[in-house]
Amino acid sequence: MAKKFIKKRKRNLMSVGLPAEIIFNIVLILFALLCIIPFVFVIVISFSSEQSIRQIGYSFFPSEWSVTAYDYVFKMGDQLWRSYFNSFFVTIVGTLVSITMCILYAYALFRRDFKFRSFFTMFAFFTTLFGGGLAPTYMVCKQLLGLSDNYQALIVPALVSPFYIIVMRTFFSSSIPEELIEAAAIDGSGEYRTLVKIILPITKPGIATVSLLTALAYWNDWYLAMLYIRDAKFIPLQYLLMKMQSQVDFLVKNSAKIGAEVANVVSQLPSSTLRMALVVFVVVPITFAYPFFQRYIIAGLTIGSVKG
Amino acid sequence: MKKALSLMLVGTMTVGLLSACGKTEEPASSVAESSVESSVEESVEETTEEEQVAEVGRPEEHVTLKMYFEGANVTDDSEALAAINDYLDEKLNVTLEPVWGTWGDFDTNAVLALQGGDDVDIYFTCSWTANEYGPFAKDGYYVRLDDPDNNLIEKYGKEVWDILPEVLKIGAEVDGADGRGVYAVPGFKDTAAQYCWDVNVTKLEELGYTLDDIKSRSFFDFGDIFAAAKEKFGDDFYPLLPEGTVLEEMVTNCYGVTGDTSEIVYESINPEDPSKPGAHGTTLVNRFATDEFKDYAKKVREYYLAGYIDPQVTNSEQSASVRTNHQLEGSYLIGTQSYAFGYEAQVSKERGIDVQFVPTSPAFTNTVTSQGAMMAISTASKNPERAMMFLNLLNTDPYLFTLVDFGVEGTHYNLNDEGEAVFTDKHADYSLWINGTGNVTLLPPQEGQGADFQDKFREFYGNAYSLPTLGWSMNCEEISDKCAAVANASAEYALPLDMGSVDPDDVLEGFIKKLNDNGAEDVVQTANDQLAEFLAAN
Amino acid sequence: MDEKKTKAIALKGRRKKHKDRKKTLILLSMVAPTSIWLILLRYIPLFGIVIAFKNYKVYTKAPTLINNVIHSKWVGFKNFFFIFATTDSLKFIRNTVCYNLVFILCGLILSVSFAIMLNEITHKFVAKTYQTLMFFPYFISWVVASYFVAALLDPSNGLITRFQLEHFGAATDFYNNPKPWPVILTLSSIWKNTGYSTILYLAAITGIDTSLYEAAAIDGATKWQQIKYVTIPNLRTMISILLIMDIGKIFNSDFGLFYNIPQNSGPLFSVTQTIDTYVYRALMQTNNISNSTAASLFQNVIGFICIMIANTIVKKIDEDSSLF
Repeated sequence: MAKKFIKKRKRNLMSVGLPAEIIFNIVLILFALLCIIPFVFVIVISFSSEQSIRQIGYSFFPSEWSVTAYDYVFKMGDQLWRSYFNSFFVTIVGTLVSITMCILYAYALFRRDFKFRSFFTMFAFFTTLFGGGLAPTYMVCKQLLGLSDNYQALIVPALVSPFYIIVMRTFFSSSIPEELIEAAAIDGSGEYRTLVKIILPITKPGIATVSLLTALAYWNDWYLAMLYIRDAKFIPLQYLLMKMQSQVDFLVKNSAKIGAEVANVVSQLPSSTLRMALVVFVVVPITFAYPFFQRYIIAGLTIGSVKG
Repeated sequence: MKKALSLMLVGTMTVGLLSACGKTEEPASSVAESSVESSVEESVEETTEEEQVAEVGRPEEHVTLKMYFEGANVTDDSEALAAINDYLDEKLNVTLEPVWGTWGDFDTNAVLALQGGDDVDIYFTCSWTANEYGPFAKDGYYVRLDDPDNNLIEKYGKEVWDILPEVLKIGAEVDGADGRGVYAVPGFKDTAAQYCWDVNVTKLEELGYTLDDIKSRSFFDFGDIFAAAKEKFGDDFYPLLPEGTVLEEMVTNCYGVTGDTSEIVYESINPEDPSKPGAHGTTLVNRFATDEFKDYAKKVREYYLAGYIDPQVTNSEQSASVRTNHQLEGSYLIGTQSYAFGYEAQVSKERGIDVQFVPTSPAFTNTVTSQGAMMAISTASKNPERAMMFLNLLNTDPYLFTLVDFGVEGTHYNLNDEGEAVFTDKHADYSLWINGTGNVTLLPPQEGQGADFQDKFREFYGNAYSLPTLGWSMNCEEISDKCAAVANASAEYALPLDMGSVDPDDVLEGFIKKLNDNGAEDVVQTANDQLAEFLAAN
Repeated sequence: MDEKKTKAIALKGRRKKHKDRKKTLILLSMVAPTSIWLILLRYIPLFGIVIAFKNYKVYTKAPTLINNVIHSKWVGFKNFFFIFATTDSLKFIRNTVCYNLVFILCGLILSVSFAIMLNEITHKFVAKTYQTLMFFPYFISWVVASYFVAALLDPSNGLITRFQLEHFGAATDFYNNPKPWPVILTLSSIWKNTGYSTILYLAAITGIDTSLYEAAAIDGATKWQQIKYVTIPNLRTMISILLIMDIGKIFNSDFGLFYNIPQNSGPLFSVTQTIDTYVYRALMQTNNISNSTAASLFQNVIGFICIMIANTIVKKIDEDSSLF
C-alpha cells in the first residue's frame, strides 16, 4: 500500500500538475461524450417502435419501445452467424497478411541504405493518387485473378494501403535510431533477424495501431463483398446488413413504381429502426476486440512517458 | 490454366450454338468471341448437320443461362429450380442459373455486372432503374434483338412478339448502339399511368365531406377542406401529402420525358383526351418556366405556409420515408398516387383506413410507362440465341412462367376452386418480384383477385390512351454537359418549389435565369428539334 | 594511375559491392510481395485512365473491357468539360478547397492536443476509456450520423429547433438556410475524424525514445517543457507526413459528409456543394464512365501537383520529414 503511494507521488512529480490534468480530463470527457452520445442515440432508436418514430420523429425518449428491428435481423437465422464468422475470419487473416506485407515494405523504405528507396516510395505512393477506376480494377480482379465468390476476394483487394505503409515508415523512422541498425549489422545479424528481434519490439505501439486500423477497415468493409460476392456462403456481416438496408430503402423509395404487390411488404418493414440496429450489430463485437489492440498502444504509453 | 479452360469452353459453346442454329441461312454474327477456329468448324457442321436439324426444336448442345432476378426474396430455390430446369432441359436443352438479386441490386450490382462484362445473359432493365433501357442500349450493353443481320425476334421470338400489345413494341424501339431497333423484350404488365388523388376517406368523412367534394374540386380549391382538417385534427396533422414531382405533374398536366438527363424538359398532356396534344401542343417546355408551374408553385406555397404540408416531407433525403410513414399511419387527407390496377383494396387494408383513388386524368401510355419493365440480353452473353429462345418460352408458356414466379404447385402454392393461387408457407422461401419477370397475364389470379382478374387487367390497360409522342425519347448525348449543368442547377430549388418550402416570388425568377445561364433554353430547343423530327418521320 | 592500386581498390570495392548487392537483394525481397500486389491491382488497371479521353462505348461485337476501350473514339479533353460547364464551378471548387483547409487545420490542432493530453493522463484506465469512446464515430456512417443531426435540427421535432421555439419564439429553418452549415459541417468532420488521427499521433508519441525524456528530466525540464522540447519536435515527422497526404486530397471531399448530413437539400448547395457532390449529381442520370473517370483524374492530377509542392517545401525545411 505504502509502496503504491510512493510510486504515485513519484508519478505526480512527472505529470503536468493537477489543475492542468483536471482541464485535460474535462476537455477529453466533453469530447468523449460528443462521440458516444450519437451512439447512445443509435441504440435508443434501434429499440424504438416504428409507431413512435412516425409520431414524434427520432428522439431520445421514444413513446414506445420495440425489438422489431432485432427480430427482423434475427429472422435471417444461420446466415447471420455464418456472416459473423466470415467477417471474423476475413478480418483476422486479412489483418495478419496485410500487416506483414506492410511491415516488410515499410521497413525497406525506412532503410536509408536501400538503393531503390525513393523508387519504391514513389511506386507505392503513386497509387494513392492515380487509379484506373472501378471497371478496370473489377475486371482484373475477377477475370485475371479469379477473385469471385471466395474468401480471397474479400481479403486480397484490401491487402495493401500505401497510406499505412507510409505511416508505418514514419513510426520506424521516429522510434528507431539509425545507429541501432548499424550496430546490428556489425554484430552480423541478418536483415530479417534484425527486423524481427530488434525492430519489431521497439515499434510495437505503431504496429498495434496500424493493425487496429487495418482490422477495422476489414471489419467495416462491405464494398468488396458487393463487388465480388454473390454466393451467400461468403457474405460478410457488413454486406449482409447493407443488403438488408438497401432492400428496405429501395422498397420505400420506389414502392409506387414497383407496383401493388410490394405495398404490404413495405408496411411491415422496420424502415427507420433497422438501420440503427444494424450499427449495433456491427459495433458490439469490435468493441470487445478493441482493448486487445489498445493494450499495446497504451502499454507502450506507460513505459514510454512514466518510466523514470 | 483457368483462362485456357474458359477459352475452350467458349469454343465448344460457340460450336454447339452454331450447330444448333445450323439450319438458319446465316451464322450468328453477334455471337461473342467467334473465333476463326470455330467458324471453320461451323462450315463443316453446316454441311453435315443441315438436314438433321430440320426445325427449331430442342437444340443439340446444352447451355447454361444466367439471369439476374432483382427484387427476389429467395432462400431456398432447390425444388422450384429443379422443376424449372427439368422443363427447360426438355424444351430448350438449357439450364437456368438465376442470380437472386435484392432490391438494392438495381442501383449498384446489376450496373456493375453489366459494365464489368460479367457472364450474366439476361438482365432486367426499364425506364427507371440505374441500368436504364435507353442509355444502356445506346452504350452497347444490350443485344439488338431485331438486328437485320441476325433478327433474333424473327428467328426465336415470334410467339412472344405476337402476343405483346402494340404500345409496348413501340416503346421498346430506341436508338441503340446498332441502330434504331428493339434491345429488350418488354414485360407485359401495367402499361399505363394514371395519376390520382389518394384520398383518406375515413378522415374525409369525419370532416363531413364526401368523395364527391374531391371529385368536383381542383387542386386550387382544396383550401377549405384542408382548413377544416387542420381545425379538427390539430396542429400536428398535415392534410396534404405531396410526393416529389408527382403533385406538380398532376396539377400542371406537364410530365417528364424519357431520356432527359437535365430533368427540366416536360411535355404537356391533354387531361380530357391524352391522345391529343396538350396545352402546349407538341412543344416541349422548361417545366419551371410555364404559367402553370407559376400558379402551382404559388398555391403550394400558400398551402405550405398555412401548415397543410409536413415540413419534413420537403426534406429531400427523408421525403420518401416520411411520406410512407404518414401513409401507413393514415395521418393525411389527400395524397398523390400513380394508379396501378387492383391497388386500392390493398392499400386500404395495409393502412387500416378506407382509401379511394380519384383520377385526375384518364390512363395513358407514354414512353416512360411502356418501358416499365423489360428483359434485355447482355452483349457479353455467349448465347444470345438461346437467351432469346428462353425469353420467348418464358413469356408465352403459362406453365413455365407460373413455375418461375409462383414456384411448384402443391409446394409453394395451391389452386382453389375459383382457380386462384393461394400461397403456402413455403412461399416465404421463394418469392419473386413478379412484375420484373415478364408476361404477368400468364399467371393465375391470386387469392381475392377473382377469376376474371386477368381479363379485367387487359381491358383496363387496353383502353389506355397513347400519347402522340409515344415511342420518342430524348437523346442527350450531344448536349450531356449542358444537361448535367442544368440538372445540377435545377436540383437547388426543384423540390423546395414543388413542396412550397420556398417562396416562388423570391426565387423563381432568379432560378429560371440561372437555369438559362446553364443552357436550359438550348436543352429544350434540342429536345424540340428531336421531337419534331420524330413526329415528321412517323 | 598505378595499376596495382586500382586493382586493390577494385577488389575492396567488389567485396563491398557483393555485400551491398546481397543487402539490396534481401531488401528487395521485402518489398516484393507488396510490389507484386501493386502491379496487379493498381498498375495494370491503370490502363483504364485512357477512358477519360475516350467516348466509352461497348464494342457490341466482342464486348470485353479491353476491346471496348480500344474501339471507343478518342475525344481529347472533352470529358473534362462538364466540370466547368456550370455557372457554379468556381463556387464548388472554392468550397472543396476551403473546407479541406479548415478541416486539415482544425483536425491537426485537435488531434495533436488530444494525443498529448491522453498521454499526460495519470490514470491509464481513464485514458483508455477516453480513447475507446473517441473511436465510436468511426463506426457510424454518415447516413446514420445524418439522422442524429436531423434529430437536432429537424423543422418539426428537432431538439434545437424546439429549444429555439420555446426560448426565442422563432426557429431557424436549418435545411433551407445555408448560413449555419459551414460550422455544422466542420463540427461533423471533426467529430468523425479526430479519434482516428489522434490514435496515430498517440502511437507516435508512445514510440518516442524514453531516454530523451529522461535526459530532459535530468536537465530539470518540467513536464510542460518536455512536451514543448521533446514531444512536439518528435511528432513533426508524423505531422508533416499526414499533412502532405491530406494536401494530396485537397480537391477531393468526403461525399457522405456533404451529401447526407445536409440531407441533399437544394437551398444549401451554395455552401455544401463540392466537386464530388457535383460530379455525383451531374452523372447520376447518365452513369457515364468516361466523365467520372475524367473527374477523378482531374482531382488527382491537382492533388499530385499540390503534394509535389508541399513535399518540396517540407524537404527544404526538414529533409527527414518529407514524404520522398
